[in-house]
Amino acid sequence: MSLTQKGRWITVVALVCLAAVYVRALAFTPVERLQGPAQKIFYLHVPAALWTEAAMILVGLAGIFYLFLKDPRLDRFAEASAEVGTVFATIVLTTGPIWGKPIWGTWWTWDARLTSTLLLFFLYVGYLLVRGAVRDPGLRARYAAVLGICGMCLVPFIHLSVFLFRTLHPQPIILKPSAPSLPSSMLATWLFSLVAFTLLYVGFVTQRYALSLARDAQCGGSPGHA
Amino acid sequence: MPDVPQNAGYMVAAYIVTAVILLGYAVSLYRRTDKP
Repeated sequence: MSLTQKGRWITVVALVCLAAVYVRALAFTPVERLQGPAQKIFYLHVPAALWTEAAMILVGLAGIFYLFLKDPRLDRFAEASAEVGTVFATIVLTTGPIWGKPIWGTWWTWDARLTSTLLLFFLYVGYLLVRGAVRDPGLRARYAAVLGICGMCLVPFIHLSVFLFRTLHPQPIILKPSAPSLPSSMLATWLFSLVAFTLLYVGFVTQRYALSLARDAQCGGSPGHA
Repeated sequence: MPDVPQNAGYMVAAYIVTAVILLGYAVSLYRRTDKP
């Protein structure tokens, strides 16, 4: 089985899991009393946000190792992770305002968490634009690695922004030093969704990596990486 | 006890948007990797 086929199968399994998450979240998970049904956006928004941040950390780590090892596999992985991270960031930046409107009364506010997440999205887009603009593969990989490392440095700030500044965005209710403040049925749905998003990330990245591999092979190897 | 807010429309919108983005990207990847 080729890498593309593996990626496709993982993606199919992930999409089936996501469909099950939809059914569980919408039909079998209780409605939160204060926020109402809009709170169920949490089951998509938070796993997507976690993988948006994790994908950029992996882009940055791949960039650091690439600068030392000059291994084209690291560059291909970083490219794949950045593209998938951009997709997840798009989900975060669309579901967030849709959740914010009924709860905060506004679609958007320029607080630290929202603004830094938007900056991360622009870094993702910039990363992909740089990759498209530079023709020399070696130079492209080095520029992209540096940009990926910058993006990685932004992620801890995004996560801690709700503690460092007064923000409209709530503090974490799962990823915090104390125990998650969620009923077990809601926590189970969220964990199930996190598994689905994890599988989606793996499936998408595997397919995107295979695509880069095929393109490099068409160009006669990966000149400039060494 | 306060009434539960009636805002299911926002929830439905978010779930549809997420599905469209993910399925759109999955199809995009499928088409790009399908080319010989």
